[in-house]
Amino acid sequence: MTTRLTPLALSVVTVGAWGLVLGVLSGRAELVVVVLPLLLGLLRIGRTGSSGDWSLARAVSAARVLEGERVTVTVTLSARAPVPLLELFEPLPPILRLVAGHNRGLFSVARGQSVEWRYEVECVRRGRVSLGTVHARLWDRAGLESGETSVRVPWQLRVYPRPLPLRRLPGPRRMQAFVGDYVAPSIGEGLEPGDIRAFVPGDRVRHVNWRASLRFRSLFVTQYHQERNADVVLMLDTLTEAGEPPATTLDVSIRAAAALATAYLARKDRVGLIEYCGPFRWVRPNSGRAHHERLFEALLRADVMFSYVTQEVALVPRRVLPPQALVIAISPLLDPRFEKALVDLAARGFDLAVLSPSAIPLVRRAMRPSASADLACRLWGLERRTRADALHRLGITIVDWDPAEPLEAVLAGLTRSRRRGVAR
Amino acid sequence: MRCLAAVLALSLVGYPLLITPSTTVLVLGAAAMMLCVLGILVATPVLVGGMVLALAEYTLAPSLAGGPPRLASAVLLGVVLVLLLETADFGRRAHHAAIGPGVLLAQIRSWAVFGALAGAGALVAIAAASVASASLRLPWAPAVAAAGAAAALVAVALALSAGRVPPRD
Repeated sequence: MTTRLTPLALSVVTVGAWGLVLGVLSGRAELVVVVLPLLLGLLRIGRTGSSGDWSLARAVSAARVLEGERVTVTVTLSARAPVPLLELFEPLPPILRLVAGHNRGLFSVARGQSVEWRYEVECVRRGRVSLGTVHARLWDRAGLESGETSVRVPWQLRVYPRPLPLRRLPGPRRMQAFVGDYVAPSIGEGLEPGDIRAFVPGDRVRHVNWRASLRFRSLFVTQYHQERNADVVLMLDTLTEAGEPPATTLDVSIRAAAALATAYLARKDRVGLIEYCGPFRWVRPNSGRAHHERLFEALLRADVMFSYVTQEVALVPRRVLPPQALVIAISPLLDPRFEKALVDLAARGFDLAVLSPSAIPLVRRAMRPSASADLACRLWGLERRTRADALHRLGITIVDWDPAEPLEAVLAGLTRSRRRGVAR
Repeated sequence: MRCLAAVLALSLVGYPLLITPSTTVLVLGAAAMMLCVLGILVATPVLVGGMVLALAEYTLAPSLAGGPPRLASAVLLGVVLVLLLETADFGRRAHHAAIGPGVLLAQIRSWAVFGALAGAGALVAIAAASVASASLRLPWAPAVAAAGAAAALVAVALALSAGRVPPRD
């Protein structure tokens, strides 16, 4: 630790010198006497003993949290030698917001004692936080000299996107072979009654439809629809983003993706993720809790990555983008490359739905209101609508989502559009 | 801590008014007090500006009043000057910071001890100077000017010394 004189020492000298000057000019002894304590104060410089014998330990109340949750950070300062005055400062990344306590503290510790310092932060945005450096400044009691150092105290915190509540989801048009929650058109073992046909040898007696059999005076059996699962691929546009953190278009897209992934996985569907950021990054469709974790890890690191590369959807392997899958693209439609990918998917016959979080309200929230901003936003809205209409004419279902609205209400619109076969 | 600094600033500015309650001293005192309060809240250089004005006010007050030098009160004023600088600086450091247990008490104890020692030391120095001046006649003004020049040199040296060797850990 390098010790330096502080500006306070210079201030003391300045005041002392000024007192002496006044004393000489006025010829009064009082001014010289006034300066004496100042000069005596300066004699304390260099008298503070070495106090580098202390250590820090950090404990965090949780290592994995969701956006909006709070975490208590406890820093323990232990000293093997007396520490007169230690100032500790822990800079917080933009992901974290201080809600209780202070991230800077002044401590005085006797030999062999320890002091705990607590503060509470709110995780405002998803991401990995790897804080580790606590800046320390050791002061003498007078504040005339100080030494600075930095202490590495590793700390890892993962802030996952908070899934928005969802009960109704857009249903897929095509099913897969595995058991799930959707009623498939095909007949087989299931719970949902389907057709009625004449009894043939080999049919189970418990499938006999007694009401129909009595009416037609011959045996009839009820057939059941199979219950199948579906493959759902979430395609996330990470080419660009607009708005101010923690409410950029990418942030709301990721929250929507997290909500959809959670809801579809709860229905026993297989869910995959494709991050379209020029080059593709993907997670193969799968189901289960471990896969849920895998998807959330992928969403955690999803970020805008500037690239001139534009890859074709055809390059995505079939195991990542199965032909029978329902593809839900989440995009603010700001980059034409993503629109081209959507057109490509639609042309290949994928069951495609587009959830488009509008960038306009997010950008307006970050701007100062003015007439020109209003006009620009209106023009932007018109341009966005034109783009959406162009995609609509190609048979792609698009729903416009104002992130202030609940996602469930918007997805209900998407379900209706898909049922009607008419895009909005 | 800022309240303590404000009280010290008030005593620094108010004492010359007790010696000579004239308009000039009052105006200087008011300006000094304003700068001191601003300095306590904002930055040490502003506080130093206020203290410079307060010292000018203190120079003016006994000059207008006349009479023998008030050395004991000058010692007290000197201690107040040091404590004002230190409390204001500490107050700024402690602002928006978590304060550990016992920090304030230890700090106040440290200031009290320093105040007592500095006051006693200054009184001893005054006594020694009185004895010396009684026995030998020195040209005091040039001596004090030389001391001032030395202090200025020390200040320049302090300002230029960015770091101190050897390292302390």
